Order: sequence, then structure tokens, then C-alpha cells
Amino acid sequence: MLLAVALLGMLALAVAAPPLARRLGRTTGYPLAAGYLAVAALLASTAPRVWAGETETASWEWLPSLGVSLSLRLDGVAGVFCLIVLGVGALVMAYCPGYLGDDEPHGTVYLLLTLFATSMLGLVLAADVVLLYVFWELTTVCSFFLISTAGAAAARPARQALLVTAAGGLALLAAVVLLTVAAGTTDLATILAEPDRVLDSGLAWPIGGLLVLAAATKSAQLPFHFWLPGAMVAMTPVSAYLHSATMVKAGIYLLLRFSPLFADEAAWSTALIGVGLLTAVTGAFLALRENDLKGILAYSTVSQLGLLVAVIGVGTPEALAAAVLHTFAHALFKATLFMLAGIVDEETGTRDIRELSGMWRAMPVTAATTVLAALSLAGVIPMLGFVSKEYLFMGLLEAEGAPWAGPAALAFGVTASVLTFAYAARIVHGGFGGSEQHADVSEPPAAFLLPGAVAAGLGLVLGPAVSVLSPMIVSAARDVAPAGDPPEVYFWHGFSPELGMSALTIVLGLVLFAFRAPVDRALQRLRLPDAGRLFDRAHDRVIALGHVVGAPERTSSPAAHLSRPLVALVALGGVGAVLVSGLPARADTDRPLDWVVAALLTVVVLAAVLTGSTLAAVGLVGVTGLLVATWFLLAGAPDVALTLMLVEVMTAVVAVLVLREVPGRLVRTPWREAVPAAALALGAGVAAALATLAFTGRRELSAVGEHFLTSTEEQTGGTNVVNTILVDYRGLDTLGEAVVLGTTALGTALVLGRSERRRTPAPGTPAGHRRDAVLEVSSRVLVPGMFALSAFLLWRGHDEPGGGFIAALVAGAAIALSQLTSGPDTLLGRLTAPDRLAGAGLVLTVAVGALPTVQGEAFLTPVELPLLHSLGIGSTFLFDLGVYLLVLGLLAAAVTRLEHPDLTDDDDEPCPPGTSSSAAGPLVTDRVPERAP
Amino acid sequence: MTAALVVGLLVASGVFLLLRRGLLRVVLGFVLLGHAVNVLLVSAGGMQRRGVPLLGEAEADVAADPLPQAFVLTAVVITFGITVYMLALARAGDPGATTGEPAPGEDADRGGEAADLDQRTEGGPS
Repeated sequence: MLLAVALLGMLALAVAAPPLARRLGRTTGYPLAAGYLAVAALLASTAPRVWAGETETASWEWLPSLGVSLSLRLDGVAGVFCLIVLGVGALVMAYCPGYLGDDEPHGTVYLLLTLFATSMLGLVLAADVVLLYVFWELTTVCSFFLISTAGAAAARPARQALLVTAAGGLALLAAVVLLTVAAGTTDLATILAEPDRVLDSGLAWPIGGLLVLAAATKSAQLPFHFWLPGAMVAMTPVSAYLHSATMVKAGIYLLLRFSPLFADEAAWSTALIGVGLLTAVTGAFLALRENDLKGILAYSTVSQLGLLVAVIGVGTPEALAAAVLHTFAHALFKATLFMLAGIVDEETGTRDIRELSGMWRAMPVTAATTVLAALSLAGVIPMLGFVSKEYLFMGLLEAEGAPWAGPAALAFGVTASVLTFAYAARIVHGGFGGSEQHADVSEPPAAFLLPGAVAAGLGLVLGPAVSVLSPMIVSAARDVAPAGDPPEVYFWHGFSPELGMSALTIVLGLVLFAFRAPVDRALQRLRLPDAGRLFDRAHDRVIALGHVVGAPERTSSPAAHLSRPLVALVALGGVGAVLVSGLPARADTDRPLDWVVAALLTVVVLAAVLTGSTLAAVGLVGVTGLLVATWFLLAGAPDVALTLMLVEVMTAVVAVLVLREVPGRLVRTPWREAVPAAALALGAGVAAALATLAFTGRRELSAVGEHFLTSTEEQTGGTNVVNTILVDYRGLDTLGEAVVLGTTALGTALVLGRSERRRTPAPGTPAGHRRDAVLEVSSRVLVPGMFALSAFLLWRGHDEPGGGFIAALVAGAAIALSQLTSGPDTLLGRLTAPDRLAGAGLVLTVAVGALPTVQGEAFLTPVELPLLHSLGIGSTFLFDLGVYLLVLGLLAAAVTRLEHPDLTDDDDEPCPPGTSSSAAGPLVTDRVPERAP
Repeated sequence: MTAALVVGLLVASGVFLLLRRGLLRVVLGFVLLGHAVNVLLVSAGGMQRRGVPLLGEAEADVAADPLPQAFVLTAVVITFGITVYMLALARAGDPGATTGEPAPGEDADRGGEAADLDQRTEGGPS
């Protein structure tokens, strides 16, 4: 319960931060610091029990089916990290008001910082591995957004940090999944209490590897260290809090947490010690080369984290105790140094130690505080950093596996420490030493300095008084050490080998510092691989690869999109030709007339494909349609043939109307495009022909065809079997088709701007409207006749060729004729407004379909209608009428708008700015009035 | 046999039109492909029975399979609807694009592609 209160309390602080910031501005940090301390006090109330070896727990169901719960657990090791998160958090919150400017987004910064603190607290308290993973990722996300608050310059480093740490997060997720599989539970305590379940499962290696990967990315170990210096673009409180004291310690926490599982495994130890020591030395070395204060501190963090990883790898109780103690000490002195670097930056406007010099005169208190923190960093007696470093050396010396392992590890540790001493001296000397005068620089306000000074002072006091920390350190080490009792922590060990190492460190460090000028020159000359740049290059390559992969899709040319499925089709045909065999015999069913049609078709189609004239192409494709219709007639499909003929006529009408505006010649295709197109076309044609040959004409009448032929009349009363299938049997298909037609009708009307047109009729007789006496007279005779024919075809459709489609096509021709001669503003034109026709048709078909459902019958079941039945009209007729109206709507949409393109074709219509009229010709000017408000 | 030839011919010419420049060719190629599929469907019903499926007019034992015919009837009308819509789109756009002429100021080698995209972005609601 207490833990939930603590976590929810932090969340409440986060939520309260933006409204508070609106009122208090940057000073919001003070109440937040108080809040952090209150939560810390709440958790501290459990300290006596936790130090005695008990745990504080809380648990709620979350995903019971997966056995995942929202469970929290406070033990010794979690307690240390809670203290760091909340303690350093409070200091940073108290530091922020001095650091933040007045015009910065205070609400956002405080919200994100507190959300981060909440996630970090949740991460160390989580007692379920899934929950642990969730909080782990939340800290990554908070970090990303906090880095991003630094503006455009931060985009690249923020992305680097996110990609690296999120990749580690994925590794953790995989580890969590494998752990759950291996241990059969997501409960952390159970997993750790029974290490054999995991170790014997065969998954131990991948789990351990993934955990190390996750920790190495989060804690900036080689080769992932580069994101941390990059993250220094973030504002200094963020660097002090996330990127030195807490978030980067999440990896350390993870390794400590899983030490009970793996500490006895040689591979785990070797990997951690190797990576850690390499990182420790490299990081310290890079820090010594750096000139930017925050850069030095970032590499220093990398190096110190390396030492921690290495000592965790040693895994003895002493080593783990050393890791816990040094984690605590590092959080104190590194946060201090960052806060002081921020102060120097604010007061002088630079962080480059080559430009800073002699600040101790202007800022004596700041200088003294920095010296304290730097002494702790360098491990000089009597600072807390000295004690923790002694323990580190002690721990490293215990490295097992080979007789030389301990001394070798110690040698690396000492090397890193010597470099650490040297760059610590460099920070102090570069920033504050020297004799230069700065009249314009002064000591910062006390409130700005105080948080750093408190932390530095703690580092001084807690050195000699380190025994105060002993219960905390011991309880934490006991939680993570698989066997053996961790030692109590003392300040003074007598004249031990570690003390000698410390002395050696200081002496060698002083030597390096004394020869700083030549050392500097030598270091600057070194060319080292820049991991960050390598990462960016790899990242850019991946993005470039994505562009290449996606390039074929970024075109509006149909050929580019169509060629790939067509190639696939040809390949499929090839595969089929090879694999398909054993087909039943094929009867020869050709009749002489078939060959005549096929021959004519060949000539016409070739001409259609090759012609360069637009009109000829349209005409020849129309003739193709008529020939195909003839073929249907020969095949015994009169309805299809009739429909297709009418469709061809209407298509030709619409196409010719469209063509009135376009050039008379089709653009010639260059050979380099035409040849591959022809090859692909030939392949597709051959594949289609082979498929047709293979899959048709090899069986008798289908069973369902037989059924329709024998029982249609009895069941529906109709004798035109095809039509009864459309309206009686397969009404739903037809309804779907009707919806498609309705959609294209409305779409066509919309594309052509029919409705707009009506509101803005041009004055006078339309320019493009030709009056033709013969046409007018003949239309007066023909139009009523065509409508009568249309009605007749609709009526007889159930028994003989006809029906909704055919009838509508005839009526459409009538409308086209009428529009051509009289224009749209006739009674007929208004009656046949496409949107009304399509709407009425759609409503009718759906209503007729829905009618039977009232009686509990299935949708679209044919029913007898009360009054109309006596007239011989059934529901199927009304359904067909709906289809008729829809088809008519489509036709009306096409012809009405297309036939009167010049209605408002005013050349003096002003073009709104931004629309080009040069490239457009009449069509674009045509559209201009519609777009104007 | 003739059905297979007709299908192959129509598919080849339809594809050839589809793959070349100009929206009009695309529309016409689409129409030819529609024909090809319809011929295929009808021939799938079997070409040995060619009586019209009108009861009372042809002998029931030679009547053609009516189901593919019903499918094709639907397909013909839908093809028509889409053809009209594509023609409307061609009409609403640049007349040059219909025949495949590159827009002014555009690299002729690239056909109408880039210009189409540009126009689309500019032509949004203003």
C-alpha cells in the first residue's frame, strides 16, 4: 500500500507540475523538491524493516490470464536506488529554478522530469519482470523527450539516444519473455529465488546475453557509449539527473538485480568484467581529450559506469557491496559536478575549459564546491569517493577464473582511476585555476548554488562517516549476492594494498596533470573512430535503403505499378505450364464462325493497339467490343451480347465527349518503353491463352447450371434464366453491383462538378452548344420511342432478353440524345439528375431487399406484394427497377456533364492566386470557378 | 481453342495499352482486359452447349450454362461503370495527360509521372 501511495504520489506531482508552473513559473521546482522529499520520507519509514531483511510489497491483478501482475517490492537494493532517484531528484528540482530561463516551457520540463522520476521509481520497485520492462521503456521515452526539449540541434542526439536505448529495451523485452518461458512465472522474486529453473532450461545463455545487451545500451557501455555524450545537448538539470545519476544507472540496477542468477557463471563474469573495464579505461581516456565541461563529465560517467559493470561482474559479496556504495557515491559527486558545470555555463556563457580560466577569484564558493566534488571523483581521501574507490579496488582484486584475473582487473581499474584523477584535475584547473581576471562574472545566487553544495558537502561528510551507510549497503548487497555475507563498510582499513593503489593513483594522476601540455597535444593528435558518426551513417544508409525500396511506389504512372503484378502473373503462368498435368481431355468445340470472329478480332485489336489517332483508337476498341458481343451471341449468351453492344455504344459516346478536349494524336511511346511493354504484354497474353486452354472445355454442364436450367421456371416463374439468376437467386451480388454503380455515378457527377455547374449557369446560349435541326427533330421523335423501348425491355426482362441493365442503357442513350440537342435544363434533364436517379435506385434496391426481413425471411428473398401482385409485379421487378435507376444515374452523370463542358467557359473569369492557368487549357479554367469560394 | 486465342489476344493488347503513356490508352486497355475476362468466364461454362438459356426457346440439353452468363452480365456493367468513371477522371485532368503528353517544363523522359503528382498536390482544396 505504502509503495502504491509513493508511486501515485509521484504521478500526482507530475500531473500537478504544468498547472503549478503556469502560476509559479520556474520556481515550481521548490514545491516539487519538497514533494520528492516527502515521498522519500515515506519510503524511508520502512528502512529499519528493510535493513533487517524484510521487504515491503504491494500487488494488484493486471493480466491474470498471463499471470502478470502490478506488483511492487521494496528491498535493500531497491531502497538504495529509491534514495538516489528521490534524493538527487529533489536536489535537481531545487536547482532548476536557478537554471531555467523565464521563457522556457517550465510546465513541460517539470512534467517530464517528474514523469521520469516516477518511471524510474517504478523501475526499481517493480516486482514483476513485465512491469519492469514497461517502466524501463518509459524512462527511455522520457529521456527522449527531455533531450528533445533542447530544440532543433537536439534532434540527432535525441534520435541516437532513443534508438540505442530502445534497442536495448527490445533486448530486455526478449529477455523477459524468455525468462518467463524458462521460469514459468513473471514474478521477479520467484525467478531469482530459484535460479536453477532458468539455468537448467537451456535458455540461460540467451537470457544472460540479452540482459547484458540491455544494460550495456542503457548504461552507455562500449560500443554503445556514444549516445551519452550526444545527450549532453539537453539542459543541464536533465544531464545531472537522467544522464549521470539515475537513468544510466538503470543498467547497473538490472545487472545487480540479476546477479543472483548469473553471478556464478563464468561467461557472465567475463563479459561484464571485459566490457566494463574496457569502457572504464576508454571513457576516462576520452574524457581526458574533451574540452567541453559537460562532455568531460559525460565520458567520465561512461567510465565510472564501466567500473561498476566490471565490479558487478566479479560478483562476490564484497564486489557487489562496492558496486552499491560506488553507485551511491557517483550519483552524489557527478550530479554535483553537472550542476556546477551548469552554473559556470550560466554565469560565463561557455563550458569550454580552454576559454574558462581564473574563475576562482570571481566565484570562490563555486570553485570550492567544485574542488570538493572533483576530489570525490578522483578518489582522494577523505571523500566518499575515496572510500567507494577503495572498495572497488578490493572488489576487482577478487576477480576469479584465472590467477592473473584479479591483478589484471585491478590494473585496468587503477589505470582508469589515474586517468580519472587527471581529468578531475583538468576540470578544476581548466575551469577555475589560472590568474585571469573576470570583472563581469560573479558568484551565482545562493539558492542556485545550494543544491550542488549540499551534495558536495554530503560527499565530504559521508566519507569519514561512511559507517552510517553501512546498514543500507549491506542490506542491498545481501539482496543481490547469491552467497556469502557482504562486509560492513568502514572508512579506514589500515595500510591495505588498496590504500597503496589509491596512493599510486594519485601520484600517477599528478604526473599526468603536471605534464598536461604534452599529454594534451598527444591526445589531440590521435584519430579515433567516432562511434556516433558510424551509427549515424548506418542510420542514414538504412533510411536511404528505404527510399530505394519505396521508390517504385512513388510514381503515378500506372505502368510502374502494374508491371510487377504482371510479371508475377507471367511467372505464375510459367510455373503452371510446368506443373499442371493430367487434365481431362478437351473436346474440340470450335465452329467455323468462331474462326471468322477471331480473325476479325485480331485485325481490329491490332489496329486499335497500334493506331496513333485518339478517335480511331476509341472507335476500334468499340468495334472490338461489338465483335466480342458477336462472340457471346455465338456462345449462346444473348443477354450478355445485347448488354455489351449497348455498353459499347454508350462507352463510345462518353469517350468521344471526353475526347473533344484532348489532342487528336496519342503520344508515341519511345522504343525503350514500348519494347519491354510489348514483351510483357506478349507474356501475359500467352499465359492467359494457355490458362484458358487448360481450364475450359474439359467438363460437362456444371451441376449448378443444370439446377438453374431445370428448376428456374418452377421456382421463379421466369423463363430468362440469366435474368432470374441476377434478380431472384443471386440478388445480393446484384445489389453489390448496384452499389458499385451508384458509387461511380455519384463519383462521376462529383468529379465533373455537375452540381456546381447548375448553380452557376452562364449567361446566353452556351458557346459549345450546337443547334442542329435534323438532330433536334429526330430526337423529338426518337427520345420518347427509346424510353418506351426501355420500359418494354425492363418489363419483359424476367422472361426474355432484357432486364434492368439493358433497359437502362437504352434509356441512357435517349438521355444522351436529348442532352445533345436540348441541353440539361429541360424537364427530362431535371428528372434525370444523376444524384437523384442513383439515390432513388439505391434506396429502392435496398428497400426491396429489406422487405422480406419484416416477415422474418432472409434478406432479398422474393416476395409477393399485396396490390402489385395482381398486376404481375413482384418484388424482383422492383429490384430490377432499382438497378435500372442506378445504371441510368451513372449514364446521366456521364453524359450530362460531359456534353456541356462550355457552360461557364468564360475566359474573363479571374484566376485565384496560386492556380496556374498556363498549363491547363480549357479544362483547368473550367474548374476554377468551382474552387472559388 | 478460339476462346483461348481470343483471350490471349485481348489480354496481350490490353496489357500493351495499359503499359504505355496516356490515360486514354489505360482506359482502353482496361476495357480490353474486361472483354478478355468475360470471354474466359463464358467459355468456362463450356463451349459445346450453345443454346440460349431461355426456357422454351432452346432444347434444355443444349442450353448454355446460365451462371457464367449472369456473372458476365454483372461484370460488363461494372466494367462500364468504372470505364465511365475513369473517363470522367481523364476529363477532369489535364487533356495532355490523356494522350500522354508531358506537361510543360517537365522532363519529357519521365512521362507524365512527376507532373501528375505535383498537380495532385497543388490541386487540393484551396
